[in-house]
Amino acid sequence: MSKWIPLWLHKLSSPPTFYRFAGALRPWLLALALLTGAIALYGGLVLAPADYQQGDAYRIIFIHVPSAWMSLFIYGVMGFAAFVALVWRIKLAEVVAMESAPIGAAFTFITLVTGSLWGKPMWGTWWTWDARLTSELVLLFLYLGVIGLYHAFEDRRQGARAAAFLALIGIINVPIVHFSVNWWNTLHQGSTIRLLGPSTIAPGMLWPLLTMMLATKFYYLASLFGRVRTDLLDLESGKDWVRTIATGSTLQ
Amino acid sequence: MSRPGLANACAAMLRRDLTLAWRRRGDIAMPVLYALIVTMLFPFALGPEDTLLQRIAGGVVLVTILLAMLLALDAMFSSDIEDGSLEQLVLAPQPLALMLAVKILAHWLTTALPLIVISPLLAGMLHLPTAVMPVLVLALLLSTPMLSLLGAILVALTAGTRRSGMLLALMLLPLCVPVVIFAAGAVAASQQGLPWLAPIAWLGAALVLLLVLAPLACAAALRIALDA
Repeated sequence: MSKWIPLWLHKLSSPPTFYRFAGALRPWLLALALLTGAIALYGGLVLAPADYQQGDAYRIIFIHVPSAWMSLFIYGVMGFAAFVALVWRIKLAEVVAMESAPIGAAFTFITLVTGSLWGKPMWGTWWTWDARLTSELVLLFLYLGVIGLYHAFEDRRQGARAAAFLALIGIINVPIVHFSVNWWNTLHQGSTIRLLGPSTIAPGMLWPLLTMMLATKFYYLASLFGRVRTDLLDLESGKDWVRTIATGSTLQ
Repeated sequence: MSRPGLANACAAMLRRDLTLAWRRRGDIAMPVLYALIVTMLFPFALGPEDTLLQRIAGGVVLVTILLAMLLALDAMFSSDIEDGSLEQLVLAPQPLALMLAVKILAHWLTTALPLIVISPLLAGMLHLPTAVMPVLVLALLLSTPMLSLLGAILVALTAGTRRSGMLLALMLLPLCVPVVIFAAGAVAASQQGLPWLAPIAWLGAALVLLLVLAPLACAAALRIALDA
């Protein structure tokens, strides 16, 4: 067992194997994402009770909070893949890091937009210079910087390595920004869901939230696999396995 | 062949960069002029009321100097990349991080120091109280080296690309948010008569950390960007 897993991971990091693996898994992940997403939306929009203070307007958290979690989670994945790419120079890790960035940026953007839609009726303003809002905006710029740097290079692998380095700097920067912005100004409500200790959210609201979190994870994986597959075909366009796929005799 | 000592190499590097900068004195004046012009535009845009200008003076001077430095950052390695001397530096027996630290120091001396020297003038144009000036200069003395160090990492990363001006801004601005917050925080606190030592101490601590780590990161970034 302890011998099999490293061997399997090693094999998986070769582009043709990953191409087939991701292709086989992607439809299932997409189906799971749609299913859990539909359940979570039904639970959140229909079954969950209205908030005693915020009425129905709070229901946007079923999109907002999972997106915010994903925006940080994907940055973590990108940073980890960037680290692997820089240390072991694994081509697949470079591709995963670079293809995570646009998805993460999209989730960050959704978080900002839904937060601002919620802020208008609740706080009476579309935008306020609060600590969490500002950190999230800075996170968006970090994502955009990584994407921009990646595309600025002519050589894609070199661009991926440079952008991976930037992603690692960003990972150090995110907590510093969050801390300093907190010191500067804060208005956002504290978190109500905790891993340790009791959460202070009603159970009827909690389960749709957690289901939506699962849905966003599945969606991220499905989207990432699709993007990585396309990118691998492009990067390896001179190789035999790609030629076999292109000329019709299917590999998968 | 005897290898020149580290101290000699550093001194030679510093002398070379300062001489090169001195031969092109006009370039040193550009960021200073830019900062003057931007500061001059604020009263035109906001109206010449003393109280309003006084309230925003610290922040405006800090941001103006940040932007002026950003403008000059692009040139940090560009001429060395063009004539190939940066590749020679990578191949040199001396540690690349140390040589880059010297280059960053030379760049700071030629771009940030003139800006710090005129910063009381900029602040005076916006009626910042004289008592706050020492805090402003202190905050600038601690925060501008950080901007140079952070900027150097990013300039090194973009060394292999052709157009990098806007990209550099996009990458640098998120990284310098904490620097701006603490520097402006110190100035604002001193202006309100509050204790301003805490943010200054944070800036100092961050500068010490960056002084150690940034040259190493800059060297790693340069190696990534130059290997083709």
